[in-house]
Order: sequence, then structure tokens, then C-alpha cells
Amino acid sequence: MKFEVKNRLKPCAALSIVIMLIALVMSMMGMGMNLGIDFTGGTLMTYDMNVKTFDTADISAALAECGVTDAQIAVTGEDKDQVQIRIKDVENTDDLRAALEEKLSASYPDIEYVDITRVGAVVGSELISNAIKSLTLAAVLMLVYIAFRFDLYSGIAAIIGLLHDVAIMLSFVVILRSFIRVETTFIAALLTIVGYSINNTIIIFDRIRENAHKAGMRQLPREQIVNLSVKESLPRTLNTTITTLITIVTLYVLGVDSIKQFALPLIIGILAGTYSANLINGYVWALLMDKRGKKAKA
Amino acid sequence: MAKKNAKPKNPRTRAIVSLVAILVVVAVCGYVALFGIGKGTMVNYLKPWGEAISLGLDLRGGVYTVYAAENDGSEEFETKMSSTVSILTSRLTRQGFTEATVTRQGADRIRVEIPNVSDPNEILRIIGTPAQLYFVDENGENILEGAMIKNAQAAQDENGLPCVAFELNDEGAKRFAEATAANIGKTISITLDGETISAPTVNSVITGGKGQITGNFTADEAKNLATLILSGALPLNLTQLEVSAISATLGVEALDKAILAGAIGVALVMLFMLLRYRLCGLVADIALTIYVMIVVLLLALTGAQLTLPGVAGIILGIGMAVDANVVIFERIREEMSVGRPLASSIKMGFSHALSAIIDANVTTVIAAVVLYAFGTGSIRGFALTLGISVITSMFTAIFITHKLLDIFADFGIKNQKLYVR
Repeated sequence: MKFEVKNRLKPCAALSIVIMLIALVMSMMGMGMNLGIDFTGGTLMTYDMNVKTFDTADISAALAECGVTDAQIAVTGEDKDQVQIRIKDVENTDDLRAALEEKLSASYPDIEYVDITRVGAVVGSELISNAIKSLTLAAVLMLVYIAFRFDLYSGIAAIIGLLHDVAIMLSFVVILRSFIRVETTFIAALLTIVGYSINNTIIIFDRIRENAHKAGMRQLPREQIVNLSVKESLPRTLNTTITTLITIVTLYVLGVDSIKQFALPLIIGILAGTYSANLINGYVWALLMDKRGKKAKA
Repeated sequence: MAKKNAKPKNPRTRAIVSLVAILVVVAVCGYVALFGIGKGTMVNYLKPWGEAISLGLDLRGGVYTVYAAENDGSEEFETKMSSTVSILTSRLTRQGFTEATVTRQGADRIRVEIPNVSDPNEILRIIGTPAQLYFVDENGENILEGAMIKNAQAAQDENGLPCVAFELNDEGAKRFAEATAANIGKTISITLDGETISAPTVNSVITGGKGQITGNFTADEAKNLATLILSGALPLNLTQLEVSAISATLGVEALDKAILAGAIGVALVMLFMLLRYRLCGLVADIALTIYVMIVVLLLALTGAQLTLPGVAGIILGIGMAVDANVVIFERIREEMSVGRPLASSIKMGFSHALSAIIDANVTTVIAAVVLYAFGTGSIRGFALTLGISVITSMFTAIFITHKLLDIFADFGIKNQKLYVR
């Protein structure tokens, strides 16, 4: 395998920025993230099936025939004979009800409409603002730890890498909006990538720290130290990415729809994390250190 | 036979004994984890660990209830509704129901769904009877309302008698100070849904926002009252409209498929490690088995509520858990490639890998701790799962992998090619 490790910061950063810009433009044109019921709220319909046993699959099939594919169906009631259907808001609920009841009455003649009501988002603005606040605090503390164990610029570069991975993940969720629906699980996926991204970066920064202190390395340009460190870490990077992808791709292939909605953003995040850890973060550190060096001399 | 504890002197014998001991422990724990002990007998000693893990609403279902809020027609109704929702959410989070959901339904309803509870009556115990609490002066004017109480708990007064200690928020503390100043020598009644539960006489101005409610309580009554006050600390009057059990929204199939995917994923990762790292890979596979068991056990013990993404997170964690092993093995390989002998390659490889492993994991643990401490709802649940898996993977890599590698080295398998490719 012949692959020269060298500084490709400019083209790589440019590629990432282009991806982010595409997502930004799409969002501004009203084609932003495809938010699911957990975020938007929706309509809750309750029916009394009046039979002891029924299959929720029948209901989701009937809903699909009415053009509703994204529904959460649960069985309730003391005798477990009621069904609650949570769907995204539709333009005309009366039409949907009529269509659905017609389809269902064929197999469930005793079906009885109970009520229909609007439900708010499960993920409220409070949960999101809380998540952002906690994440910001976590990023600051991680920055402090890395600055303490490495140096300030490593900390800054690692956090830039983290923001990059999260931004790339969000961008692809926008770009692939026909395939990825954002539900509560997406928050978990995002947080996982935060941990994964930092992990990847630190392993390479640890190499840089080690190499930078070796005799005969100090006079080398930082860029070359990064090249060497990335190269030396490459077997580990590849093997870890492979083992991680093995599990998550298996989940994607075998999982139900909601698992796929969770696994796909994760796969993107993991790839973004590997990309930034090898091609961006180390060079950002070198750039920052060199800039500081020039300032100090001037 | 007589000297039971004497250590065999031959390192090879010792290595065999250690390895067999470790494998036996793993096998026994694995059996207990999968099948439990004494299950189905009169005394159910231990459940299989997986069954002991509490599952979220999406996987196991739970109970739900709908409350109607009394619309007082005031302009603040909207604000009061959202603060009621957030008070209920944080109350559930505090009790460990991180995967419970509180949503608005229609204009004046609140819907609460709590996973892993099968008896709808439990809801009352968990979120309490919503009631309205007021502090009223002798003229019948409201001084404080329940929403201004930040915390209340059963305590003992200076005579050692049960009482309820409460703490007010800033606004409440200010109002309480003013009211106690204006009412010295008079009584201030504490009413719950219009009924006076305590009417202490004001002896002095209370400025710190902390106070006690005394009365002729038993310890249990004090505890109940504290719960009532806390549950009454809602800005709106709620009536329970309906309460019922609710089935899993994703169903058994989702969980089964995720577990199947997990099993296949683990098998593939193990196979990959074996092919890539040979003997080291075998060590990693044993360490991985131990990792999975510890994580499952800790999840069962901490009562973390597992949702489908939680399960997926653990499966992903398995892929990531071998990372520390990979870091170590690559370092060992580097040491061997410069011609170092086996035992010292293992030692040096470990010491070089250690700083990277610790720094990488500590940063992730920092994130998990912050998210756990400040997050609400599912974020907190996720942080717990993340923290457990990261710390466990660090432990298994640093201690178990190291121990196992030393054992294999003691076996006298000297061919370095067998250790790493």
C-alpha cells in the first residue's frame, strides 16, 4: 500500500467547507433537516379495536396505504384493546381518518374512533438547549484537560476537529434528508460522535507529543512531525475504524427502521472523525503553533 | 496436598493455573449472566443479567397518564404550562426515569409516559398527587405558592421531632422574608388544595429562604408531606384525566434484531481481531467477553434505563472497546520490529500505549460526567451508558489484556510472529 502522508490541510478543509455550505444553502432554501415527530410534535389518534387480539402491523400497513409511513403505534387500555397512533401533522385529519377507518374496518369491523388530538414534541426546546449547554461545558473542560496534558493549541485543534465532525454529520443529515429522519436517537448519535472524535484525535496527538520530544525531531518543521505521527498511527486508525464500522454496519443492515435512522448518521460521523483526525486536526495544531512562533519572534 | 496455597515455582505451571482460573471465572460469570442462578426454583437467586436491565418505553412499554391543567385564563398560562412540563421532567429524571417523556397535548393537557412500570397506579407514587400548595397569612392572603419551593424533605426539628424542611427559590425567599417580618407573632398557614396542614406561629424574620414545617407528624407523615409539597410545587392545578398501560412503541422485534446484530457484530469483530493479531487477538477477544459482561452487569446494577439507541450504543461501544487493545498491540508490534525480545516488547508496548489510552478515555469520561450532571431526560441516560462503557473498556484493556499477555508470554510461546501479524 503506497500512500504518502503529507499536509493536505487546504484541500481537505475546502472539501469539508463545501459540504457544510451545501447543507447550509439547502437549509436556507427550506430543505433543512428532516425532523421527526419527536421534534415537531404531531397528531395522536386513539381507536378502540374492540377485539382482544390484533396486530399493530395491520395498522401500519393501513397507514402506509394512506400515505403515512412515519408512525409510532402503541397498544393501550386496560384490556389492551386500544391503539394509539402518533403521526406527523397532516393537512386534513378528517380525510385521513376517513381513509384509515375505511381500510381498517375491513379486518376490524368493530373498530371505534375514540379521539384525535395534537401532541407536542417529545424533544422540547428545553432538552435541546440543555444539550447544547452541557456539550459546551464538556468541550471547555476537555479543552482544559488537553491544554493541561498537551498544550493549549492541541486543545484548540482537538475542539475544532470535534466541531468539524459534528458539523459534517449535521450537514449529511441535511443532504441525505430523504434517508435520514431526525428523532430523539439522533441526539445520542451526536453525543457518541463527540466521544469518538476526541478519542481518535488524542491517539494521534499523543504520537505528536511523543515524537516532538524525541531527540533529532525538535528541529524538524512541525508539519513533518505531524506527517510522521499520522503515518505511525495509521495501522491503529484503520483497525479501530474497521472494528467500529463492523458493529455499526451490522446494526444498519439488520436493524429495524429506527435503528437505521440511528446507525446511518453514526457511520457518517465515524468516517468524518477518522478523516479529520488524520487529515485536519494535526495540521491545524502545526499551523497554530507556527503562527504563535512567528508572533513571538516579531 | 497439604500446602494448598503454595505457588508453583515453574512460571509455565503458574501461567496455566492463572489462565484456567480466569477462563473458569469468565465461563461461570457468563453462565450466570445468560441463565441466572436458581431461576424457576422456590428462591429466585439471581436473574439473568440481561433481564435485570430496565428497558425504555420503546422496548418494553410502560404506563402513561394525561393531566388536564386548569386554565386560569391568565396571560402567563403558556409559561406556566411549559414550566409545569419542565418541573415534571426534572422530577422524573431525579427519580431515575431518564427515559420518561413529558409532552404537551392539545392546549391545556400534559401527557406523561413512564417506561418499565406496568401498574398504572405506580404513577401516583412516582410523580405524586399534583396539588396546589400555598402559604397564607391570617387575612387569607397568599404569601407564597408551591412553585416557589425548590426542595422539601423530611427532617428533624431541634427537639428531634419529625418535621419537613423546605428551601425556597430566590423570589420565594424574598417574599418569605417580607412576610415573616410583617407577621411576627401571628400565624402563617400552609394549605394544600385549600386544606390547612400546618399553621405555625412566626417567631422571627426568616431571610435565608429555608424553613421548617412542624406539627404533630410521625416520621412517615413528614415524608409524605414533603413528597406532597414537592409534587404540589407546580404552578398549575392538574387533574388526572386518564391513566393506562402502554405497549412498547418499537416492539420485541426491534430489540431482538438489535441483539442479533450485536451478536453478529461481536463475532465479526472477534474474528477480525483473531486474524489481524493472532494470539494478541485471542487475548483481546477474552478481554472483550469480560468487557461485555461487566457492562451488562453494571447496567443492571445502576438501573440505567436502556432504550434502543442505548442498545445500539453498547454494540458500537464493543467496536470501540477493542480500540485500546489495538493501540497496545500496534505498540508491541513496533517494539518487536526493532528487535526487542517478547517480554520486554509487551512491557514497553504497554507503557507507550498507556498515556494515549488514558488521555483519550479521560476526555471522553469528562464529557460523560458533564452530560450526566447537567443533562436531563434521555441525555442523562445516554451519559450513564457512555461512562460505564468507556471506564469498563479502559479497565479491561489496561488490566485484563495486560495480565493475559503476560500469561501467554510465561507459557513460553516465544515465536513473535504468533503474537502479532
